Amino acid sequence: MTAVLELRGASKVFPGVRALDDVSLRVDRNEVVGLIGENGAGKSTLLKVLTGIYRLDGGELFVNGEETVLRNPRDAFDKGVAMVFQEQSVIPTLSVAENIFLGREREFLKAGFIDKRAMNRAARIELDKVHLAIDPATKCSALGFAARQMVEIAKALSLDGRIEGDTVILLDEPTSVLERREVELLFEIVRELKSRASIVFISHRLDEVLDVSDRIYVMRDGKVVHEAPTATATMHDLHEHMVGRQLDHQYYREGRQRTEPGPVVMRVRDLSLKGRYRDISFDLAEGEILGLAGVVGSGREALARTLAGLSPPDKGTVEISGRRAQLGKPRGAVRAGFGFIPSERKTEGMVAGLTVAENMTLAAPGQFDSYGFIRFKAERAEARRWIDRLRIRTPSTDTPMQSLSGGNQQKVVLAKWRIVGSRVAILDHPTRGIDVGAKEDVYELIRDMAQEGIAVILLGDTLEEVIGLSSRILVLRDGAISARVEAPAGGKPDQIALIENMV
Amino acid sequence: MSAIIAQRAAIAAALTLTIGFAAPASAQDKDLTLAISMRSLSNPYHATFAEGGRKFAEAAGLPFEILVTEGNSEKGLADIRALISRTGGNVCINVDPNDSPDARTIVEEAEAAGAHVVTQWNKPEDLHPWDHNPAYVAHMSFSGIGTSKEITNVLIEAMGGEGGIVALGGILSNVPAIERKQGMEQAVAEAGGAVEILDFQPADWNETKAFEIMQAWLTRYGDDIKGVWAANDSMAVGALEALRQEGRAGEVPVVGIDGTDAAMSAIEAGEMAGTVAWDPMWTGGMGLSLCEAVATGKLDIAAEPEEHREFYGTGIVVTPGNIADFKNRDPSFDYNDYWAKSTGQIQY
Amino acid sequence: MKLRAFAPIAVLVLLCLMIAVFSPNFLSVSNAIRILNAAAIPMVLVMGATFVILMGSIDLSVEGVVSLTAVVTASLVQNNLTSADLGYWAVPIAMLAGGAIGAVNGATHVLMRIPSFMATLGIGFVCLGISTAALGGFPVRIADREFRNITLGRTFDIPHGVYIALAAVIVAYIIQQRTRLGRWVYAIGTDETTARQSGVPVERTRILVFALAGIFSGLAGALAAAQLGQGHGLIASGRLFTTVTAVVVGGTALSGGVGSVLNSVVGVLIVVVLTNGMVLMGVPPFVQQGVQGLLIIVAVSLALDRRLLSVVK
Repeated sequence: MTAVLELRGASKVFPGVRALDDVSLRVDRNEVVGLIGENGAGKSTLLKVLTGIYRLDGGELFVNGEETVLRNPRDAFDKGVAMVFQEQSVIPTLSVAENIFLGREREFLKAGFIDKRAMNRAARIELDKVHLAIDPATKCSALGFAARQMVEIAKALSLDGRIEGDTVILLDEPTSVLERREVELLFEIVRELKSRASIVFISHRLDEVLDVSDRIYVMRDGKVVHEAPTATATMHDLHEHMVGRQLDHQYYREGRQRTEPGPVVMRVRDLSLKGRYRDISFDLAEGEILGLAGVVGSGREALARTLAGLSPPDKGTVEISGRRAQLGKPRGAVRAGFGFIPSERKTEGMVAGLTVAENMTLAAPGQFDSYGFIRFKAERAEARRWIDRLRIRTPSTDTPMQSLSGGNQQKVVLAKWRIVGSRVAILDHPTRGIDVGAKEDVYELIRDMAQEGIAVILLGDTLEEVIGLSSRILVLRDGAISARVEAPAGGKPDQIALIENMV
Repeated sequence: MSAIIAQRAAIAAALTLTIGFAAPASAQDKDLTLAISMRSLSNPYHATFAEGGRKFAEAAGLPFEILVTEGNSEKGLADIRALISRTGGNVCINVDPNDSPDARTIVEEAEAAGAHVVTQWNKPEDLHPWDHNPAYVAHMSFSGIGTSKEITNVLIEAMGGEGGIVALGGILSNVPAIERKQGMEQAVAEAGGAVEILDFQPADWNETKAFEIMQAWLTRYGDDIKGVWAANDSMAVGALEALRQEGRAGEVPVVGIDGTDAAMSAIEAGEMAGTVAWDPMWTGGMGLSLCEAVATGKLDIAAEPEEHREFYGTGIVVTPGNIADFKNRDPSFDYNDYWAKSTGQIQY
Repeated sequence: MKLRAFAPIAVLVLLCLMIAVFSPNFLSVSNAIRILNAAAIPMVLVMGATFVILMGSIDLSVEGVVSLTAVVTASLVQNNLTSADLGYWAVPIAMLAGGAIGAVNGATHVLMRIPSFMATLGIGFVCLGISTAALGGFPVRIADREFRNITLGRTFDIPHGVYIALAAVIVAYIIQQRTRLGRWVYAIGTDETTARQSGVPVERTRILVFALAGIFSGLAGALAAAQLGQGHGLIASGRLFTTVTAVVVGGTALSGGVGSVLNSVVGVLIVVVLTNGMVLMGVPPFVQQGVQGLLIIVAVSLALDRRLLSVVK
C-alpha cells in the first residue's frame, strides 16, 4: 500500500536551529496518525512543511505516492493536504459556503458570475459530512467557535471527489478551545472520516491522542524519537519519549531551592471565574515558588491573568500581606504588589520601541520623576544597576528593547518588577522562545528572586520545568485544583503522577 | 485639510517641472532678472497675471521666473529669499503676497539686498512704498467694495429694480470675499427696500458647491429668486449650471466677478447679466515694467506723488450691452505709460 | 444585529423627517429630483471607493483622477481648445483613462509595497498637477450641447445623470454579490492571510479593485465635465471628503471587510440631503460645518456599534 503522505529524511534548518532533523513519517490511507511533542519539538515546523509554508532543506516529500514540492498552502490543498488551523482561518464576513469554496469559485462560475445556489448546494453536501445542520448561506460571524472549526473541516473534506488521490487532513491542536462535549463530537467525526480521508492529529494531550489515533509519532528536538501503534503505547512510555532525559537537578538550580518557607504573603480564597476556573484557594509564602500545572484550557492561564489584574474574577478574594487586593485592573494589581511576566513578551511584556531604561521604569514612573519631569539621571543609574545585577547584555541603557535577544528582553521585564518592588511575581511561560543558555540564566534569576523573599507563581513551558523549579505544585483540571503536590529539593514528584491529575 | 495643502504642493511640483526649464537663471547672469510671485497657476486670473509678466520680460529681453506660493506663506517667502540671494539683489519682483503681513517681510528683504518690489492686492495698511524708497516701488490693487457695488447695481438693473436675490460668497475669512460682500450689501441698501437679500451662503469660491447650494435655494425660494449674485465667476457659473439643469438658464440674471472666459461666453449667450474683468495682463506686465524702470534708473520713483505709488487698477464691468466692444478693445498697452489705467489712489 | 444594519437608513429617514418639519418644500418632487441630481456624481465615485475601503485600503486619488478625466473628456468633445469631436465616445475613453490611473495606483501600492494611503495620495497629486499644468490654469470649455445632455437632459423629468448613477450602483452591486472579485474583496479586507492561504490572488485582486475604482472615477470625471460644461484642475475640489465621508457614514468600516455598496448609497444620500437641508432650514453658514461634523460622528458611532456586534467571541 502506498502512503498518502510520506516524509523521508526531511530536514529544515533555521539560523542556529535544526528545526527538523532527518524526520521520516508516513500516513497511510484511512489512518489516523497522532503526532505529539513538547513545545519546540518541531511539530509546527513539520506542519508548515506539510502545508507548503516552508520548503524542505533536505529529504523528500511524497503525496499520494509521488514526490512533490508544495509551493504554498493553496498548492498543498489542491494536492490533497488540507490543514485545519489552530488559530482559525474562517473569514467571518463571508458565508459558510463562501468560506468553504474561497479561492475555488471557478467551479460555480456561470458566464463570469457566481451561481450562489449551486455553491450553497455543494456546501450543504460538505456540511452534512460533519453533521453541521446550518444554512450554508449563514455568515460565519454568526457561528460559535466549534461550528467554525467544523466549517474548516468541511472545507478540507470538500477536496474529497474534487481531486485525484486521497485527502489528508491535518488537525492542529483542534481540541484546545473546545468544550468537552464538542471534543466528543469531534472525535466521533474523526472516526467517521477515516472511511474517506487520512488524518494527522496534532496535540500535546496524550489522552486524546491515545483515544483517537491508530498510530503515534513522538517528536523531540526536531527528530522523530518514537513511533508505535496506539494499541501498544502507554501514557508513561509516550511521556518518557516526549521529555527524553531524566531530570537534571543542576539544570534547575535545585540546590538553591529554599527549604524553610517564610511567612505567608498571599492568601487566595474561593476565586472563581465562570467557564474558566472555580473555587481556587491557596496560600503563598515569601520566597516560595508555586508551580501551576495543567493542560491548555485547564484554567491556569486564566487564573494567572486574573492575578495579574487582566480579567476580574466573578467571586473570591486575594490578600497580600493581609490587605485585600483590587483585582480587575492592571494598575490595581501592580499597586497591590503583583508583577506579571506575560507569555506574550513581545506584545504584552515590553514596549519594543522604548529603550531598556524606559522599559525598566515603566511600571514605576513615580520613583523617577519630580513635578512631572522625568529624572533621566536617576532612571539611567537605576537601569545601570539592574543591568549589572541581572547580567543583561545590552550596549547601553538607551538601547531600544527590540534590538535585544529574547533572553535579555526577559531579564529587562523581570527587572521592571523588581524595581517596582513587587511582592509576588507571576511568571507566565518565562522561558518561552528563548534559547537554552538564556533559559538557565532566567532560572538563576528566579532563584535569586525567591532568595530575596519574593513569592513566585510559575506557569512553566514544560512540566519538567515546573517540577524542577517549584517547591509546591498546584495541578488544575477543568478549572479546579485537582492536586496539591509538594516538590522539595531532592524529593521531586514524578511527572506521571502530575499528568494523571491533569487529564 | 492636509490633503489640500499637499495637493497644492503637488501642483507646485508639476509646475516647477514645466516652468523651471523655460527660464533658467544663474548667479552669473549679469542681466536684471524679472519675477512674478503668486498663489497658483491653476486659476485663470493668476495664469494671466503671470502671462502678462512673461510678455513684458519678452519685450524687454530679460530673464523671467515664476514663483508659486501654493497658498503657503512660508514657501512664498523662502522662494523669494532664494531668488534675491541667487541674483545678488539684481531682481525685480511683482508679487501678489499670499497674506498681507508677508508684504512687509518681502519689502524689507528686498530693501536690504537692493532688489525692487511691486505688490498686488495684499499689504498691511500702514506699509507704504514711500517709506521704503526705492526698493518698494508701488502697490497696485482693485477696489473690492467699489467694483462689487457696481456689478450689484448691474444685477439690480437686470432684475428691473426690485425682487429677492441670493448671494454666494467666497471663503468667509478672505479679504476680497469680505469686501465684495460689503459692496453688494451697500448696493442693496441703496436700492432702498425694493431689493431683498433672501439668503447668503459661502460656497468657498467653488463651482460644485455653488451648484448644490443653488439647487437647494431653488427648492426653498423657487420663483422668488429674481437674481443671483456671486463673489466670483466660478461660483456664478456653478449657479448658472444649476439653473440650466432646471431649464431656467437665462431667465434669472446672474452676476459674478473676475471676467473668466466661461463668464464672458455666458454673457454673450445672455445667460449672465455681467461680470467685472480685472486686467491681470496689465497688472502683471505693468508691475514689472514700473519696477524695471526704477531698477535701471529710467524712473526716479522717490520723486513720484503718493497717488503713483498706491493705486487702483481698472476693473471693467462687462455686460451683454458692452461685451462686443470689450472683446474688440485693443489689449496691448504702452509699457512706458505707467499710470494710464490707474483709477486713483488707494483709500483706506 | 439585523436591526443595527439598518442604522444608516434610520439616520437618513430621521434626517429627512427633521428637515421636512422645518421646511415642507423639502418633500416636494422637484427637490427630490434636485437631491438625486446632486447625488449622481458622488454616487458614482462612492461605488469605487467602497470596494477599495472594503478591501481595507483607501483611495485618496479621487480628486486628481476626476479632474484629469474631466479635462480629458472636455478636450475630446467639441471644445474651445482642441479640434476633437468624439461626442459620447469621450465617456468610455475617460473611464479607460481612469481605470489605467487606478491600475497604476494599485500597482504602485502592491508592487512597490507602499501603503495605499501614500500611493494614491501621490498619484492623485500627479494627476492634479498634470491637469493644471497641461492647461496652464485655464479651463477647457465644452461647446458640444448634445454631449452635455448626458447630465443635463431629462427623461421622465429625471436628469440623465441620475440614471447613469443608478446604472453604476447596479453594476457595483452585481460585482459585489455575484463575482469572484467581489467575494475576494471581502475576504482580503477581513483576513488577508487566510485569503492568501486559500489561494485568493491577493495582489492581482488589489490592483483590479483600484483599477475598478479608477473606472468609476473616470465616469464621474466625464459626468462632472458634462454637468459644468468644462474641465479644469480644480473641478473636483471637495469630492474626496464627500466620498470618504459617504462611505463611512453609510456604515462601511475603514478597517475593511464590513459594509456594502448599498450602505454607501445611503451614505451619499445622507451627505447630500444634509447639505441641501441645511440651506433649506437656513442654518447659519458658520454652524453648518459643525452640524456636518456632529452628524458624521453620530452615524459612524452607530456603524461602529454594529461592527462590534458582528465580531463573535
